Amino acid sequence: MRRPLRAHFRSACGLAAALAVGSRLCVVPGQASQSGTTTAGTGASTWRQAAPGRPIVLPADHASHPEYKLEWWYYTGNLDGADGARYGFQMTFFRVGVDPAPKNRSRWAVRDLIMTHVAITDVRGRRYLYAERLNRPGLGWAGADTERYRVWNEEWEASLQGATHHLKAAAVSVGDRPLSFSLDLTLAETQPPALHGDAGYSRKGSDPGNASHYYSLTRMPTRGSLTIDGRTFAVTGLSWMDHEFGTSFLETGQIGWDWFAIQLADGRSLMLYRFRRSDGTKDPRSSGTVIDAAGRATPVGFEAVTLTPGRAWISTASTAPYPVAWRVSLPRERLDLTVDAVLDNQELRTAESTGVAYWEGTVDVRGTADGRPITGRGYLEMTGYSGQAMANYLR
Amino acid sequence: MPAFRLFSWFILRSLRQDPLRSMTTGVGIALGVAVIVAIQLTNASSVAGFRTALDTISGRTSLEIVATGLGIDERRLVELMWLRDFGAVSPVVEGEMAVREANGPRKRLRVLGIDILRDRPFREYQLLDWSGASPEPRPQEFLDLLVDPGSAILAAKFASPRGLAVGSTLEVLVGDRRAALKVRGLLRDEGPARVLDGRFVLMDIAGAQQLLDRYGRVDRIDLRIPQGGDVSSAQARIAARLPSGLTVRRPAQRGEQVEQMLAAFHLNLTALSYVALLVGLFLVYNTVSVSVLSRWSEIGTLRAIGVSKAGVRGLFLGEAAVLSLVGATVGLFLGRLLADATVALTATAVSAIYIATAAAPPALQTWHVALAFGSAVPLALLAALVPAQEAATIPPAVALRGADQVDRHTRVSRRHLWVPGVLLGAAIWFATRGPVNGLPLFGYASALATVFGVSFLVPLILLAAVRGLVSTARRWLKVEDWLAVTNLSAAVPRLSISVAALAVSLSMMVAIAVMVGSFRETVAYWIGQTLQADLFVSPGTGRSPAAGEILSTELPALIAGSPGVTAVDRYRAIDVPYRDTVIRVGSGDFSVVLGHGSLLFKAPADARERMRAAIGENAVVVSEAFSLKQQHGIGDVIELPTDRGREPFTIAAIYYDYSSDRGVVMLDRTVFERHFDDRSTSGITVYLQDGIDPEEARARLLREIGDRHEVFINTNRSLRIEVLRIFDSTFAITYALELIAIIVAISGVSGTLLTLVLERERELMILRLVGTERRQIRRMVVGEAIIIGAISHGLGLIVGLALSLLLIFVVNVQSFGWTIQFHWPIAFIIQSTLLILIATALAGLYPAYRASRLTMVHEE
Repeated sequence: MRRPLRAHFRSACGLAAALAVGSRLCVVPGQASQSGTTTAGTGASTWRQAAPGRPIVLPADHASHPEYKLEWWYYTGNLDGADGARYGFQMTFFRVGVDPAPKNRSRWAVRDLIMTHVAITDVRGRRYLYAERLNRPGLGWAGADTERYRVWNEEWEASLQGATHHLKAAAVSVGDRPLSFSLDLTLAETQPPALHGDAGYSRKGSDPGNASHYYSLTRMPTRGSLTIDGRTFAVTGLSWMDHEFGTSFLETGQIGWDWFAIQLADGRSLMLYRFRRSDGTKDPRSSGTVIDAAGRATPVGFEAVTLTPGRAWISTASTAPYPVAWRVSLPRERLDLTVDAVLDNQELRTAESTGVAYWEGTVDVRGTADGRPITGRGYLEMTGYSGQAMANYLR
Repeated sequence: MPAFRLFSWFILRSLRQDPLRSMTTGVGIALGVAVIVAIQLTNASSVAGFRTALDTISGRTSLEIVATGLGIDERRLVELMWLRDFGAVSPVVEGEMAVREANGPRKRLRVLGIDILRDRPFREYQLLDWSGASPEPRPQEFLDLLVDPGSAILAAKFASPRGLAVGSTLEVLVGDRRAALKVRGLLRDEGPARVLDGRFVLMDIAGAQQLLDRYGRVDRIDLRIPQGGDVSSAQARIAARLPSGLTVRRPAQRGEQVEQMLAAFHLNLTALSYVALLVGLFLVYNTVSVSVLSRWSEIGTLRAIGVSKAGVRGLFLGEAAVLSLVGATVGLFLGRLLADATVALTATAVSAIYIATAAAPPALQTWHVALAFGSAVPLALLAALVPAQEAATIPPAVALRGADQVDRHTRVSRRHLWVPGVLLGAAIWFATRGPVNGLPLFGYASALATVFGVSFLVPLILLAAVRGLVSTARRWLKVEDWLAVTNLSAAVPRLSISVAALAVSLSMMVAIAVMVGSFRETVAYWIGQTLQADLFVSPGTGRSPAAGEILSTELPALIAGSPGVTAVDRYRAIDVPYRDTVIRVGSGDFSVVLGHGSLLFKAPADARERMRAAIGENAVVVSEAFSLKQQHGIGDVIELPTDRGREPFTIAAIYYDYSSDRGVVMLDRTVFERHFDDRSTSGITVYLQDGIDPEEARARLLREIGDRHEVFINTNRSLRIEVLRIFDSTFAITYALELIAIIVAISGVSGTLLTLVLERERELMILRLVGTERRQIRRMVVGEAIIIGAISHGLGLIVGLALSLLLIFVVNVQSFGWTIQFHWPIAFIIQSTLLILIATALAGLYPAYRASRLTMVHEE
């Protein structure tokens, strides 16, 4: 079985790496084997490594796994307003371990940090609004529960009630024209999770510890409301959730990556990604997963996917040139697709938390499946285009 | 003749020709102005030092949430999440620690513990040698520098001269605990790093809690309202929503609190500073008088050739204006120089009693210039008005006769007795008024009225004194002494001003000396009564530890268990906001205090029983300063902010306390611990078994405590010496200011005698002609000087004693809330009398020399 490396981890770990300026929040692969597996829980003095044979059990595994150094809950979705207007949203909670057992007994001692990015794309208004937060759990201003699924950063929160995920956030957007925006969404869990790799054990390198536990919920019927600049819109749509936890999985030599989450109208979902290496070679770890309408996941290797960048949009803020149109073909699946950004400017610049700029936005998908026309929607993430900054963060 | 040329020839030339006299006056005014300016700068520096510290530390904080003196139980932050709706929120831990300087005293360092992830909107931290592209590291990059325990970022201004760099270790002392900080970065001289001249340590909030042993507490929550937001309305809305025990205020209110605390101290210094200027103005009067007298015939000539009365008056007022302008200009800069010294002199007082600040005088500002000229010039003109008017009334005929031919008989009149009568009556009335806004304004008005009232009486007193001297001392007087006496009695109007000047400054000196002397005696008695313990243990960081500087928890037991120790009392003191000021809430074991009688009670009569009954009850004993300043008496119920919210306490007794004028409220330890979540120890008093040598016990305790902790152990004896040393250094500024006033006054005596000599030119010549020797002339003039000195000092003693009563029983009580027992300063009276006689004799030497030389000139 090919390694169903979930590309998203790299975005998160990349951001996590940036978070710590590469110092120690993201352990480089060589060090991973030395730490080994330790007992779980907050009392351990080292982080636990991902290992095969650990089953993913929901809903318990939605909750936090503080014995691992890195963990994130990643939501993206395409939404439609009652009046036909279209929106995209992203809401991501990162838990980034700093010190598994702080020697300081102060409640403020930093064991881990909670970082949150939230964004809304208002397609009709041609606006991309985003905000970020970074907090230590301290006295509970941010945190991730272990007993039940609830992760929060001040009043931004993702939680689970029954089989329903509830997301809420209200913020003032970053940028020249700050606007208030908020989201309040419920996402239904209607399918079993797509477990990546070996039943959710996703190996990433030659070292077995260089891996993560991870699963996705690729089609979550969503409803709720968005508020932009004081106006509230009822919305419905389809969201995608990823949850991944582990301790070390960063590969060196990668300057960035391009990642696709595609929800096709026929019920299939695609997760595809490619690494871009500094030496220009194709990275063998680029790969993906095809999830059928029943929720069954099948890994696809990098040789089975062709990702061709098209038109570039250059960010005036970061000067990064992002390819906002792509050709995606999976000959074995008989899929030939074009992916186009619904709005060119969906660049999230995390000036406060990490300083990393990345493009994460809603896309339209058109093409053919088995020769017949097919459409879809999805999310595209592109990192490492803002040049020097990314190289620095990734080392 | 153009007015300026006339002025230039007539006034400026003569000022040049008599440089000594001009200079004496100029210097007198300059000193007066200098003292005023220096004190204003000094006062500004102590508040400005605190405000600057406050501003640099507060940064862009709009509002802050505070609780009791112990800070906020951090668990309450969870219920305060809604604060975010108002803006950015940053919890802050602040504290102090000390570093030992190579061959120097310990220096205090200010520790600021923040969550850098939240603090960014509030303060700027510019890292030196920061390799990143942005001027400041991003919060998480910064956090990475601070997250390890013991990590600290220092101000480059502090670190660099001490050879500290990134990677260095800084040994610090927190309370009695030694700790080592890892230097992870250096800050440019910007933002909070400017505080206390760079004695600033930035830490993570967790690291600061660990270092300062402040687990579970934050000192305050800083809040930043977004730009354009209405801070006042936010403050009102937050105040309405805050749970009991928490207060929202603007950071500047802490500055106002300190200003309030220092107001009385500052007012006293300001009042004192004006004494020198007042005395300087008497000098102006003298100088212009001399100027008028020495040109008596010239003035007559001017009048004869058509210069108007107003013109003549203008000439001499111009002289005063020139002198005061030059004096004020010099004084302004002299004041700035003097300020360095006065700031240093007051620093001990300010920091011992109130707050630790980086004391450096601020730069001169426009208003200081306005103050200098605005005080000196109009008052100098006023002082010159009398002699200038005298000059204006000189008839042209005088030109033909000569100065001393003019009839200047004693013009002392009893008709004007109503003026001093009204003034002295007012003085008595003022003395009975209460404070205004906590300041003894009526007390000062009373002092001023007394001084002026007596000044108006000086001619009568002088006349009576000289006549009395003549009748009683006649048989012992040599002929030249006799001449001196009669000369003086003839010159009473002229002399009155000089005598009044000298008497006023001497009375001030006497008053202050009596007040300070009485105060010192009172304090010494108080120490004797209250310092009963044998040993006093305090944290090694400093003499007057801040609330955060505490002793380690194991020390009380260790000390109590040491051989020879019969009892120990753990003492805890914290600063607590009360009304518009900050008071000290202390706790100790009441039964130990009672058992060893270490409080001196003021009221009630059965205070000891009341205090015993207060054990375990919501009852407190309060210091006299608290009772007087807050107008609370026995049985009153006061509300204190505690960790349980605002709680009522009944005042059981009032005790004397001269250690602080801020007011102390004492709770029994059990009661304190019931209301405050604090088990720390600020200090320990140790009682030894009879026969145990305190020095030996101290040495043994230090051995037992060993290297683990750094503590000060004072013996009873050394603490007494220490308390009095602090007392003396507190009043050093008082003496310094008084000395300047007396120097000015004595040079005034010299000037007056010069005036008298000039006036009697012809008499002196005749004396020489009839065979009086030069030596006799000198003796006569010096004799006059001594008589003036003696009379002035006698008057000064009487008025001074009256003023001292005013200072002790009105000004001091209203300013500081201390009862001072009056003590006769016999030694001081004898010493000062001798000194003044010698000083005035010396002051007579130059006029005496001039007098003897004068006659020679006329002989030729």
